[in-house]
Amino acid sequence: MGDDVAELRMTRTAARANVRPMRHALRSFLEALELAPDTIDDVLTAVGEVLANAVEHAYVDGAAGTVELYARVEGDAVLEIDVRDSGTYIERTARAGRGFGLRIARAIAHSLEIDRSRGTNVHLSFDIVQPRRRIRAVK
Amino acid sequence: MSSDSSVVVIALSGELDVGRADEVALALELPSRTTPVLLDLSDVSYADSTVISALFHFSEKAMATNTPIAVLIVKPQLMRLLEYAGLGEAFPVFRERSAALTYLTG
Repeated sequence: MGDDVAELRMTRTAARANVRPMRHALRSFLEALELAPDTIDDVLTAVGEVLANAVEHAYVDGAAGTVELYARVEGDAVLEIDVRDSGTYIERTARAGRGFGLRIARAIAHSLEIDRSRGTNVHLSFDIVQPRRRIRAVK
Repeated sequence: MSSDSSVVVIALSGELDVGRADEVALALELPSRTTPVLLDLSDVSYADSTVISALFHFSEKAMATNTPIAVLIVKPQLMRLLEYAGLGEAFPVFRERSAALTYLTG
């Protein structure tokens, strides 16, 4: 893995339309890591749900806030991702067709923790296998 | 949306996320008739729980009105999204259009 793909950090206004460009940036980051296509899909699905929750519910009073995405690889096989906003995260239960987002993210991520001490930070970790690292290890 | 005498086809494509939530909800308004509906999601390259919620309501309304539905899904991301949401068996899902149409028209 080259240093140029070691981490991704970006901040955007908390708006529905900004979930897509943030997800696209994350896809580019994951593709640079050469992860398996199914792994990339799953990470994008989980993080996409957390980003959507952040822009949907973090600023219910209409205040113009931001959402920060921070992704990096720790060690050889763990992808760590934080989604941070300064609003109040609302965790909905999956009933009556609403609130599937966190259920989906939890089903995919190795771990998902929500810290509401300063704004809201959702931390996700994923077990990953990086082909280039695996090849390098056997040389 | 398109239709012939026997099946109404609703087709959505591209990335269906929270930014297109209103569009997805509108597209999945069930026709008032009880004509069978094929929901063609074969060209959906990414979907989030916006689609899951819309599918959930779409399916409930179809059951309430006795409208046969079939959902066409080709991309693995959407198929796995359904499974992660615990809805992998909630709708009649097909990977082949011909199989979906056969299911709807008998």
